[in-house]
Amino acid sequence: MAEPKILIVDDELIVIKSAERVLKSEGYSVEGALGGREAILKMGQNSFDLVFTDLKMPEVDGITLIRWIKKTKPDVGIVIITGYPSQDTIKEALELGIIDYVPKPFTPSVLLDVTERAVEWTKGKKPEEAKTAEEFPPAMAAELDRVIAQLKKKPGALIPVLQRAQEIVGYLPPVVQKRIAKGMNIPEAEVHSVVSFYSFFTMKPRGDHNIRVCLGTACYVKGIEGVLKKIQDTLKINVGETTEDRKFSIEAVRCLGACGLAPVMVIDQETYGAMSPKKALEKISQFDPTIIESASAEQAEEMAEKEA
Amino acid sequence: MDKVRANLMLCAGTGCVASGTPKVKEALLEELKKRGLDEEIKLVLTGCNGYCAEGPVMAVYPDQVFYQKVTVEDIPILVEEHFLKGRPYQKLMFKEPEKKTAIPRMGDIPFFKHQVLRVLRNKGLIDPEKIEEYIARDGYQAMAKALTEMTSEDIVKVVKDSGLRGRGGAGFPTGLKWDFASKVKSDIKYMLCNGDEGDPGAFMDRSVMEADPHSVIEGMVIGAKAIGAHHGYIYVRAEYPLAVKRLQLAIDQATESGLLGENILGTGFDFHLEIYLGAGAFVCGEETALMRSLEGKRGMPRPRPPFPAHKGLWDKPSVLNNVETLAQIAPIIMNGSEWYRSLGTEKSAGTKVFALTGAVNNVGLVEVPMGIPLRTIIYDIGGGIRKGRKFKAVQLGGPSGGCIPESHLNTPVTYEDIVATGAIVGSGGMVVMDDNTCMVGTAKFFLEFTADESCGKCTPCRVGTKILLDMLTDITEGKGKESDIETLLDLGRDIISTSLCGLGQTAPNPVLTTIKYFRDEYESHIRDKWCKAGVCRNLTTFWIDEKLCKGCGACLRACPSKAIIGEKKQPHKIIQEVCVHCRTCYEACKFKSIKILPAGFEGDPSELLGAAAAGEGKKGDLK
Repeated sequence: MAEPKILIVDDELIVIKSAERVLKSEGYSVEGALGGREAILKMGQNSFDLVFTDLKMPEVDGITLIRWIKKTKPDVGIVIITGYPSQDTIKEALELGIIDYVPKPFTPSVLLDVTERAVEWTKGKKPEEAKTAEEFPPAMAAELDRVIAQLKKKPGALIPVLQRAQEIVGYLPPVVQKRIAKGMNIPEAEVHSVVSFYSFFTMKPRGDHNIRVCLGTACYVKGIEGVLKKIQDTLKINVGETTEDRKFSIEAVRCLGACGLAPVMVIDQETYGAMSPKKALEKISQFDPTIIESASAEQAEEMAEKEA
Repeated sequence: MDKVRANLMLCAGTGCVASGTPKVKEALLEELKKRGLDEEIKLVLTGCNGYCAEGPVMAVYPDQVFYQKVTVEDIPILVEEHFLKGRPYQKLMFKEPEKKTAIPRMGDIPFFKHQVLRVLRNKGLIDPEKIEEYIARDGYQAMAKALTEMTSEDIVKVVKDSGLRGRGGAGFPTGLKWDFASKVKSDIKYMLCNGDEGDPGAFMDRSVMEADPHSVIEGMVIGAKAIGAHHGYIYVRAEYPLAVKRLQLAIDQATESGLLGENILGTGFDFHLEIYLGAGAFVCGEETALMRSLEGKRGMPRPRPPFPAHKGLWDKPSVLNNVETLAQIAPIIMNGSEWYRSLGTEKSAGTKVFALTGAVNNVGLVEVPMGIPLRTIIYDIGGGIRKGRKFKAVQLGGPSGGCIPESHLNTPVTYEDIVATGAIVGSGGMVVMDDNTCMVGTAKFFLEFTADESCGKCTPCRVGTKILLDMLTDITEGKGKESDIETLLDLGRDIISTSLCGLGQTAPNPVLTTIKYFRDEYESHIRDKWCKAGVCRNLTTFWIDEKLCKGCGACLRACPSKAIIGEKKQPHKIIQEVCVHCRTCYEACKFKSIKILPAGFEGDPSELLGAAAAGEGKKGDLK
């Protein structure tokens, strides 16, 4: 791609002029359009890579312009410039698929920063989260949005929303956290701060079968450490990790309240008491019979090595 | 209804469900039907009975016969013997450990005999999913009394006079808490229940919520009336799905019956109750942290004052009570403060539920009057130490508590006496440890917990616990220094005096108490590189005493790394280079011929072992 061509759309000339000045100094090719109508006309004549647009404009407003661009020129990247980031309009724009937004008034460095990212994005080097976003099935996203809409009015809703989100998606990757932040109109940092605080939330995908090992006192006294070590050695993963085939994951929990049965392990929803390393492997092997075989084969190998 | 001649109360608590209750239930229903008994014998699924280790457990009423470890295979014979032939089935009864004679009646079994049930009054007697059964056991009468006959001041006075103290850990007088909140003027107040049972080794709250959810709700309505709250939350751990399900069911049923919600019992009093699921953070047991979590934020504590009675949830006056505390309220309102005070001591009135676990024979929930000695709980109710091993310590109060040695077993369980030992009553977790437990390792275990669960807000707790943990780890790995013990003590005291909340203020307790009572163990770890319990791998040498070895081969078969050699009936030997110090042989040997020596020990250990044996003798054997 040659020089990225940028169109600045605003109903105030001063905004167009100042943006032009900043961007041209960095070697971008820039044109301006006073309002949505003019923008549509200009885009019909020339092709642009990137459009910066205001939202509040007379006649053809920003949202209408974005819809038109998305429909007729879907390859053009869109960034919004707005002085009154009303949550609803921004949310709407985000849903339409804009890349980013610049708050008004802006400093040259902010504008350049956003421009650089947006250019990268239109070149096809989409950022990591955008890629994941594509893998995130629309149905899941819809369900997530429904949950957010249903709970967001209640005070203290973030934790219940996250709990439901984890039920729906299985884990809480950045893309999900962002969606929740947007949906609830709270900073992403706040969502992340809660996710990272509570042990119930995980940012890594879990296996088909989640093995939760109780590290409570009673289980400790009765030897859960040996059980955990055996499971880790056999599955070759640590606590908090998932096997490569995504079949199993191990999680350490602080007391399942089933101390009478210590040491205790839970696979999915099923609780198993009085575990020993051997019994634990037997329980796990019901989901994958090769577990025990490979474990004993390994032992034989080790023995052979030692004998040699 | 009048046809029913017997009720089978089958436990459906988390423990028994894991041990097989669902299958046993199906088998029982089928068998009763097959024998044509399904009309006259009724099966009821109850909440947690407390005797989890022997589950699934079932009590037969009216004859009170108690069956344990019931399996699907036992069902046909059990039904035939007991219900057709009228002969209770001995095989599944509790057996006296010594004489092996069966004890048929539940009330005669030592585990149950010494208990006084107030909090657990309905355990195993009602179906927790049916509000009618709770009401039939005088449920909601106390609430009716409180709402119709008593003023807010009356309620506060009765609870104050009863001497009831918060059962969640700190033991703050419940009546006083209610008094503070009731005097604050505010249009909105909150009545909250702490069901975030985070102490590892404690599960009484889970049991109450599963077995008797309405008792918690009733306590909350009474508390709400006392302080003038119309909204409430029960904060429950997400790790307790069954408790959540039953509480929700109970709330729905109570609301339908007009016992919750608008205009309760036509008295004009409103109380709306919701469940809030916790997300797994130990610090949320602290009241200000729990309230932050209810607001949907990171559950971090804040300095007090202002106390929650003035500024709590969403800065409104709030009262937070523990599940067990709330379950005590209804009987106190019904029977009065004098009745409550008839058990327990002056400063620690009433009963307390303990979760007795670890190396004892009878594991489970026990409710006892406060003030009885620890020894009674461990030996009379708990049936002594498993496998005839020696008692070493009892850990009270979870990660905030401490380890109490044999010499202090006559300590009465009251808030004051337990604190004097360096431990705390806490929420009532009581984990018994035998001589297979390394006390340095135990302290390390708890510090791993607190260092991990420290929320990070205040430095003494965040950094201090980590340093304590690192030092303990070094000691258990053989890298301990002579000065470490003093540093641990100093740092521990500093953390206690400077931390923001209860988590940090109690986190060093496991270290301080183990040093206080088991300093010799720390010293042998540091100086002799010797973990006498054989737990710390770097600090052991396993050695077979040839004079004692019978050559039975048990150790040889058990050894996972094939480090043991020897002919049958000839003394065996451990190849030290191959040994991974896993301790399996030590457990396997029936002749106590395997000895634990310091790391890297070579030569003749008889002198060392002689000294060790003499040391053990000094502590005194336990009968």
